[in-house]
Amino acid sequence: MADSMQLTARRGRRRFRPRHPIAHLVLCLGAIFMVGPFLWQLSTSLQTFGESVSVPPTFLPHSPQWSNVTTVFSALPFGRELMNTTVMTIARTVGQVLFSSLAGFAFARMRFRGNAVLFAIFLSVTMVPYQVFLLPQYQIMQGLGLLNTLTALFLPGMFSAFGTFLMRQFFRQIPMEIEEAARIDGANILQIFWRIMLPMSAPGMIALGVLVIIWSWNDLLWPLVVNSDPRQMPVSAGLASLQGQYTTNFPVLMAGSLLASLPVIIVFIVFQRHLMSGIAFSGVKG
Amino acid sequence: MKRLLSLLLVPLLLAAAACSGSSESGGDSDEQVTLTYAIWDQAQAAAMKQIIQEFHAQHPNIDVQVQVTPWESYWTKLQTSVTAGSGPDVFWMTMVYAQYYAIGGGIAALDDQVKKSKLDTSVYVPAVTKAYTVDGKLYGIPKDVNGFGLCYNKKLFDAAGVKHPDASWKWTDVIAAAQKLTNKQKGVYGFVAPEADELSWYLTVPQVGGQVISPDGKRSGYDQDATIQGIQFWTDMITKYHVSPTLQQTTDTDPLAMLTSGKVAMRYCGSWEPEEIAAVPYGKANIGIAPLPAGPTGKREYYSNGLADSISAKTKHPEQAWQFLQFLGSEKAAEIQAKTGTVIPAYQGHADAYAKAMPEFDLQVFVDHLKYAQPFPASTDTSVWRDEVTKQFAEAWTGKAPVGDVSKSVAEMMNTALSKEKK
Amino acid sequence: MSGQGTATAPPDVLTGGETGRRAGPARRRRPRPPTRDSGWWALMLLLPAAAGLAVFEIWPTFQTIYYSFTSWGAFGGHAWSGLENYRTLIADSDVFHAIVNTAIITAITLLAVPLSAVVAALLSLPGMRGVTIYRTLYFLPVVTLPAAVALTWKWLFNGDYGLINWLLSKIGIDGPHWLSDPATAIFAISIVGVWGSIGYNMVIFLSGIRGIPVDYYEAAELDGAGRLAQFFHVTVPLLTPSIFFVTVITVINSLQAFDLIYLMVGQQSPAIERTETLVYLFYQRGFAEHDGGYAAAIGVLLLIATLILTAAQFRLQKRWVHYG
Repeated sequence: MADSMQLTARRGRRRFRPRHPIAHLVLCLGAIFMVGPFLWQLSTSLQTFGESVSVPPTFLPHSPQWSNVTTVFSALPFGRELMNTTVMTIARTVGQVLFSSLAGFAFARMRFRGNAVLFAIFLSVTMVPYQVFLLPQYQIMQGLGLLNTLTALFLPGMFSAFGTFLMRQFFRQIPMEIEEAARIDGANILQIFWRIMLPMSAPGMIALGVLVIIWSWNDLLWPLVVNSDPRQMPVSAGLASLQGQYTTNFPVLMAGSLLASLPVIIVFIVFQRHLMSGIAFSGVKG
Repeated sequence: MKRLLSLLLVPLLLAAAACSGSSESGGDSDEQVTLTYAIWDQAQAAAMKQIIQEFHAQHPNIDVQVQVTPWESYWTKLQTSVTAGSGPDVFWMTMVYAQYYAIGGGIAALDDQVKKSKLDTSVYVPAVTKAYTVDGKLYGIPKDVNGFGLCYNKKLFDAAGVKHPDASWKWTDVIAAAQKLTNKQKGVYGFVAPEADELSWYLTVPQVGGQVISPDGKRSGYDQDATIQGIQFWTDMITKYHVSPTLQQTTDTDPLAMLTSGKVAMRYCGSWEPEEIAAVPYGKANIGIAPLPAGPTGKREYYSNGLADSISAKTKHPEQAWQFLQFLGSEKAAEIQAKTGTVIPAYQGHADAYAKAMPEFDLQVFVDHLKYAQPFPASTDTSVWRDEVTKQFAEAWTGKAPVGDVSKSVAEMMNTALSKEKK
Repeated sequence: MSGQGTATAPPDVLTGGETGRRAGPARRRRPRPPTRDSGWWALMLLLPAAAGLAVFEIWPTFQTIYYSFTSWGAFGGHAWSGLENYRTLIADSDVFHAIVNTAIITAITLLAVPLSAVVAALLSLPGMRGVTIYRTLYFLPVVTLPAAVALTWKWLFNGDYGLINWLLSKIGIDGPHWLSDPATAIFAISIVGVWGSIGYNMVIFLSGIRGIPVDYYEAAELDGAGRLAQFFHVTVPLLTPSIFFVTVITVINSLQAFDLIYLMVGQQSPAIERTETLVYLFYQRGFAEHDGGYAAAIGVLLLIATLILTAAQFRLQKRWVHYG
């Protein structure tokens, strides 16, 4: 996938323009709006409560209060919650990508009775807002004795009608010739899927994976509903309970927010390119 | 059972004589069991863990894990998880929800165990025991009682040249001092009037002879003039005298945090709060505690909530849960709570230990207040009307409608809710 | 629509030298499934997803519809109550508020669409420098935990000690208590919504703009069109598919608004009536107040609203979306 840098560079070469001062001005102002909250969060997280509520506000803490961080760790099983979020996200992502690929492949490349009907059912499921599933899903977890477990966090989120739809669109783009060639060589469906289709659909899987990761990492409602034990909660619900405990102790809340968002931000900076192209793909195909 | 006996033999346990009968049941007492104990106050978690440590030393086969869920979501999660049978085994209960949980079958009646273990319930403050007795059955072992006092900022008082509050103070003294202490330029208010029943009008309504609910729990008292007078004390502070932050401000920033950061000079405080105040260096250095100002005629009655520990009706380990509950109700547990200054134990005779727990504060004030305690307003389904009451009074707090009008429509709403309750 | 994604991968590279390159019989426009009977295989491949969806989404949908006709006991158990919940629903002022609030939040959050289009257009200017840095900074809010976003903005919006009111005071404005004042809370929430969605929209638009052939701009330039004219006459019309997509996503997300209201306003706030959304109400009734039957009715309402909105948008798109 072409990087926008390359393209703009190419255009630039064609018609040289040294600078866009006004564009930079606008973009910089915008960037302050976008990043300002993060800087303020960082600054507050190192202040004492007294500093945080002083007028005029404190921009640089007198001496950094690392105790806010330790407070977060003592108030919440933070490491544990971070792990819960990670496990939940990985399981949901692997599940959705795998199951959606299998089903998407079947819908796109196989002829069987009821294909159209079944696909229509899948499509209509994508229309249903997920709150509609919440009460019964909770009861299913209860019935399985899974309340307050890690499994409950991710199990219902491993299947996705939208993911299936996305992967079907992707498989449909793969040229028929390749599959036919493999068939002539005597490969069966599973081999075709595994050896040819899967590698070729990697960009689609990444696109889906990225969407699932963001959704899952951020999910608050389901964990809030299904698990009441703080040790079985993800970071998002942990932050909610931190707010309950330290109502308006802003430095502690900011330290918690910072710690909770840092891992994803790091992952984002490392995998930025994949993520951007994944989102761009979903935009084109969605 | 040997372990239970050895626990009962601990000399510190005055209740030992009463409990020594012990229970014969429970052949599974050697089995390793983990109980979950749900509480909502992070500030008390340390004391609870200390109690658990002592308990575990005597019952090595029973592990107890504390689960802190903030008040806002505590009841949501508790009811959901108790219904599902996945909830904690033992948990804190308040008078607000006691009848609801008892009648709804969320908590277990303890009478059989109490009888079997020959637990003496007369050692607890009778008002608390009574509140957790529903239809003649006991549903919780009393944990603590609440007293109230006037927390004030000594530094701000001295700076404004105002005499420190004392036992002689009445409503008018509070208002006069608040007016002198308010300094809008510096962003300092003399008083803070949050809209939080337990910490506001439940303290003043009885001082003028008003009532929130009739003693038989069937009628609302919000349409009585005295009740309205008790509520108006709070709204006047904001809308008439302008000596308190507004409702918006107390929603944005916790009133206790305002006190401990020098933004307000006076706040009505509960006996469980000094520990939180002391945790902030500024609070520890500058906050003093005086007796709660009396009503215009010198009346000092107030509505007192007290917590209890209850056992989930759906616990898988009723035997172990009862052993833990007994320990929570023991004198040892009371002593631990009192000494850390977290709460005044419901186990009588330990108020002194509480009063001496923090030399920087005059905690005796809270203990002295206890004798004016009135039963906390509660009915079968208290939370239904109580939440709605809080919601509706926001109109009065923001000055959009006169207190009297709001209070009368609140009374109507509450009477409707009470008439719908299952008895 | 632009030829994005897989079309760029040359087939022979991926199949390796295994079979060699074969000229297909007649090149088909679209791949069509092979004509052999593969019912069993299809079943095997579909089974995990279909079974999962059947258990966790399809069955629950019908279950919820059924629950919407029942009333629930405090500690379990439910009984048929007919249309009772729907009768309450129609008369419930909270539901009315929730619908109005959701509409306001959606309308304001949609402001992010033109804003992000401008950002994307600026970033696509020929010879623009620092694109990667800008893109990263603008995208940060998208990958930040909404719970953390909520707490941070709640602090920024604090009436007495918040940064925003301090900045306003510098230009002589006495800022309100944004989140606890019923008149302003919904705007504060929506601003956060705008802030959080600019990055995502921008990425979609960037890739959309990239799909616009350079020739269009060159032709426009030959006609003497300036940058602004190019933006309105080339970029915007050719971007309509992306604009449509982003609009649909924004509407759906706003309809689902919960986290910000739950964490920034909350049940105790005097502003809750003016900010609660249908999903918030659903959580409050179903899980905080344990009225599962009524919550189910709200869920059904939400389902109907989603279906209507989606249908309306796809109908309207024919009027203004140009698929190039």
